[in-house]
Amino acid sequence: MRNFVALVFLGGGAGAVLRELLMLVIPRLADNFPLDILVANLVASFLLGLVTALCRRHVVSDGINLMVGTGVAGGLSTFSSFAYGTVVLMSASAASVVVASVYVLISLFLGYIAVVCGQQVARRLFP
Amino acid sequence: MLVGLGGGLGSLLRWWLGRMVGERYHGNFPLGTFLINVSGAFAMGYLSVLFDVDWRHRYGTALNAGVLTGVLGGYTTFSSMQLDAVKLTGTSGSLPAGFYLLLSVSLGQVAAWLGGALARAQA
Repeated sequence: MRNFVALVFLGGGAGAVLRELLMLVIPRLADNFPLDILVANLVASFLLGLVTALCRRHVVSDGINLMVGTGVAGGLSTFSSFAYGTVVLMSASAASVVVASVYVLISLFLGYIAVVCGQQVARRLFP
Repeated sequence: MLVGLGGGLGSLLRWWLGRMVGERYHGNFPLGTFLINVSGAFAMGYLSVLFDVDWRHRYGTALNAGVLTGVLGGYTTFSSMQLDAVKLTGTSGSLPAGFYLLLSVSLGQVAAWLGGALARAQA
């Protein structure tokens, strides 16, 4: 139990630092499209799909699943910045309402695809 | 540093709350992630406005980074929401899964907006 706490803490911390680095490296687009958060969320979704599928195949242990899936992927991805970002964007101007809506739909659609892709990669590697 | 510390704490809180909800609720709906994300969005709206108005000049961006990017970012999760949606597609079909995603986002937005409005009302 105590080990699991450490795994989630370390994984979550690493994921959040990785997201902070992405936010520093990836520029905001001219129309305020939050590309950094989108990239972080998509990478995390892929990672989570991959590691849970690997765990189900007993390729990785429950501990790794917890550290990478719950920790790193959970810390890397964020819903709070995603939701609040769209609210701020929507209140800015009529044009940015469109940008925000496109951002939401793209995020949801591609995020779903990313999880499935992660699962498929695990399936191909370890049939 | 603060982001890592906050992210670790936020992730632990998410893990613990997810387990608590999972022990009490056994339906198909991913209630744990849903509650975590909506409450985190509310806190993000509230604290973002609060920090902008009052605290940014006094505490600098370290507190912002630790609490907003770290704790709240680590607490809420986009990846688990998407995994939930993929699982939900398997158990209940794609319509409930799409409904879950859109409900999460719209209630998350309402929560974030309410949080911001509350902070502005107090200012």
